[in-house]
Amino acid sequence: MIQPARGLAPLRLLDRAVERLEQGILVGGILAMALLNIANVISRNLLDGSMSFAEEANQGLIVLVTFMGLGYGVRRARHIRMSAFYDQLRGRMRKALMVIIAAGTAALLLLLTWFAIAHVQQLYQSGTVTPALRVPLFLIQLSVPVGLFLGAAQYLLTVWRNLTTEGTWLSFTEPDAYHEVAPESASW
Amino acid sequence: MVILVVTVMLVLLALGFPMMVPLAGAALALLFGFFAGLQPALLVQQMVGGVQPVVLTAVPMFILAADIMTKGHTANRLLDLVDTFVRHMRGGLPITTAASCTLFGAVSGSTQATVVAMGAPLRPRLLKAGYRDSFVMALIINSSDIALLIPPSIGMIIYGVVAGVSVGELFIAGIGPGLLVLALFSLYCWVAARRQDIPREPRASWGDRLRALRSACLPLGFPVIVVGGIYSGYFSPTEAAAVSVLYALILEVAVFRAVRIADIPGIALSTGLITSVVFILVAAGAAFSWMISFAGIPDMVLGDFIQAAGDSPWLALAVICLAYFVGCMFVDPIVVILVLTPIFAPLIAASGLDPVHVGTLVVLQAAIGSATPPFGCDIFTAIAIFRRPYLDVIRGTPPFIAILALATVLLIAFPSIALFLPNLLY
Repeated sequence: MIQPARGLAPLRLLDRAVERLEQGILVGGILAMALLNIANVISRNLLDGSMSFAEEANQGLIVLVTFMGLGYGVRRARHIRMSAFYDQLRGRMRKALMVIIAAGTAALLLLLTWFAIAHVQQLYQSGTVTPALRVPLFLIQLSVPVGLFLGAAQYLLTVWRNLTTEGTWLSFTEPDAYHEVAPESASW
Repeated sequence: MVILVVTVMLVLLALGFPMMVPLAGAALALLFGFFAGLQPALLVQQMVGGVQPVVLTAVPMFILAADIMTKGHTANRLLDLVDTFVRHMRGGLPITTAASCTLFGAVSGSTQATVVAMGAPLRPRLLKAGYRDSFVMALIINSSDIALLIPPSIGMIIYGVVAGVSVGELFIAGIGPGLLVLALFSLYCWVAARRQDIPREPRASWGDRLRALRSACLPLGFPVIVVGGIYSGYFSPTEAAAVSVLYALILEVAVFRAVRIADIPGIALSTGLITSVVFILVAAGAAFSWMISFAGIPDMVLGDFIQAAGDSPWLALAVICLAYFVGCMFVDPIVVILVLTPIFAPLIAASGLDPVHVGTLVVLQAAIGSATPPFGCDIFTAIAIFRRPYLDVIRGTPPFIAILALATVLLIAFPSIALFLPNLLY
């Protein structure tokens, strides 16, 4: 279904590696959060001592999962959008709108990446560390520009896929076939 | 300034951009258009800060627990329990559906998970019993929305965080309205069964009932943990969520053996994906909210109305309900809550209304709006799950929407439907 892109093998390999990384971070982040919070409840109620680092570890994990999952959400075409107008379009018009959406979103995410780099630089210069674990804050929030950038990259790949391949594509790997949306595709 | 924000948002939304774009785009447009002296990095700081309230950790935990249970046996056992007790009544099967959705909502907190877990086994049975498909689909969608009101509720958590209201109190306050909606739906099911002249099902024996009760015993521990734990003040919502995960794991992996350890990374990936998709909206919403508050837009939009609200809180409530309802007809409820809550915050403060009462009404509106045409997001869920065309899916919804509107009026008129339980406690 996906046409082989000649001469781009290293890029594809990189993309696969990034996808694995994103999956690993999502799985690891969620399981770590679960273990952490379960351990915290047990320690608060049975051992009578709350784990002081639990709160900031949670915050770090949430930031990590939110931003590092951005690109993965684009790959799976799972970001929530109102597609009513888009659904009315057919053929080339629909494809054209998809290109505009993907390009526009990529542009916005790149802009945010730029601002996020500035934000992380400020954190780096201020040398702020988290109160309990004393981890430099910039290290945790590095996931913000990285995640935003990976999201932008996936949208750029979506543009590229649409421009080089027949049919409309919701992401680099997901063709537009909206009656086949997985049942768990919305947010709640 | 207001016109710029509204135009940017509506155009980006209507074109079908992912919803983080209208939120972040409107914030950026304001920043560049009117506050060029501000550092754009501040917006990023707000985005990061937006996902950091500790109670938000409860969201991925409740989703994870729900994902584990949807894969396992919990849903079926709860369904069997309700089934053996009510199916012999007139309208018994649809009432079973409504009640099972409510009960599953009490263990999972996710409308989506509820539609999948309950819709799949119940729709064929309802059709076989002779109910019209339009009625059946509308019933399943709308009953699943009761999950929004019954704790744990992801909508309540997000509203609580954005509006600065205690999530624990909101959880407890959702129980009354949730049960009210269930009662009204059951009444309608009874009427529908009479009108469609559906024969009654055979009564289950007490032996079957006891057996169902025994097998549902452990899943019923979830509401005990969540509601009981929070009600007694023993757990915070975040802790209740963590315990739910632990309980779901023990139940489905160790006791029922329906989920294998090897399935868990896959479940966690799905949870992580949904979490990221929701939280990127929360992040963009936080930037949006901060920017419009900085620009003083809520005052500009509501202006004199805020004054008037102090004199007539009922009018304020009606306006708030209408705004959320209309919003959810078009856009995902999370986005509506993220956008409208900061706008209405000064109004709610000025009107002297109980923020917990307002919260339950807002979540009720989210439930109605998301099942209402043209674009309520549940309709599209149902299209995807039941694979039926749009018109078939919406044909049966008007009576349910009317019932939910009635519930809204009742809840506005009698705040104690929501506030009775939390007032006992807080």
